[in-house]
Amino acid sequence: MKPPDQRLFEEDLESVGFLDGVLKGCWAMAETGLLPENLAWPNVILWIAAAPRPNAPSKFYFALNAAGYRAEPPTGTFWDTSTKKTLEFAKRPKGRPDSRVAKVFRTDWENGIALYHPYDRHAAKTHSEWAKALPHLVWDSNHTIVDFVEEFHSLLHSGDYLGA
Amino acid sequence: MSADELKLFVHVEGAKSMVVAAKPGEVLRDVLIRAGALKASQDDILIFLGECTEALNEAEEVDNGADEHKPADAGLTLEALELHRHQHVHCHRCRHVAVEVNFNKKTKRHRFSPATTIEVVTAWARKKFKLDPTIAGEYVLQTCETKTQPRPGDHLSELVHAPDCSLCFDLVKEITPAG
Repeated sequence: MKPPDQRLFEEDLESVGFLDGVLKGCWAMAETGLLPENLAWPNVILWIAAAPRPNAPSKFYFALNAAGYRAEPPTGTFWDTSTKKTLEFAKRPKGRPDSRVAKVFRTDWENGIALYHPYDRHAAKTHSEWAKALPHLVWDSNHTIVDFVEEFHSLLHSGDYLGA
Repeated sequence: MSADELKLFVHVEGAKSMVVAAKPGEVLRDVLIRAGALKASQDDILIFLGECTEALNEAEEVDNGADEHKPADAGLTLEALELHRHQHVHCHRCRHVAVEVNFNKKTKRHRFSPATTIEVVTAWARKKFKLDPTIAGEYVLQTCETKTQPRPGDHLSELVHAPDCSLCFDLVKEITPAG
């Protein structure tokens, strides 16, 4: 029997919010052929579409560890499906200097292993002050993977997103 | 789900949205009753299809305009209603959702179709308040007198409960994580 966090995650992949985004080409779970052979729960790989920018990909893959979902947010970072490794910094999305995009996708924090955002478990746990500063982004069990993909989809479609 | 089945996204007032599989030849009302989204005896529910973006084309000088988006005839088949294209079905008692958005001590109003997403309302508000496109993306809707920010994909039909068919938002600058 699958663990509760995996069942909840898979249930949310069938929700209106997630499927609507899949149909609109906004996000989806990674195609099976692109997954590492040994990938197993709680590790998952999904992609989120990005706004068109010169010489930048149309989507970015994210490798996430979703242990404890939904009580806990996922944690992870960008993934390179060709090397099947974490995406090198040079290929990651860039933002206008000092913008929200630049801050969230920063690579100068924790060696780029997580997203600098309250929806990332590692970032949230190491920034207890965010609960007060960003109360609307505090993850609780009412949040789902749809909140996660919508948030980063918005950032990758922001005017501050410059490309990769 | 068989090949000819449609996957409908059904939004019901006060309930979690659901995915409903149905055949193109089925009558929408029957599908909604089967899914528990409608009761056979209910006649006060309006059905809206798709996602409404009318407000984005509203002329700049219009104040308190209203979407025309008309309720659909649920007595027709999914095929006749082109639900393969619309996908979303909203069951609601509100004909419109009256939205007011506050920014810089000014207020803009519009009566939206319940089938409108927060993403569209946000884009409408940024345009109405003439935000510079280079910074407009940093501004998001926050429910008045709360710290709650609805998701871009939320539909107004999911956020209001008749007879209160209105919403109030502040247009606020999104805060950048720091520390």
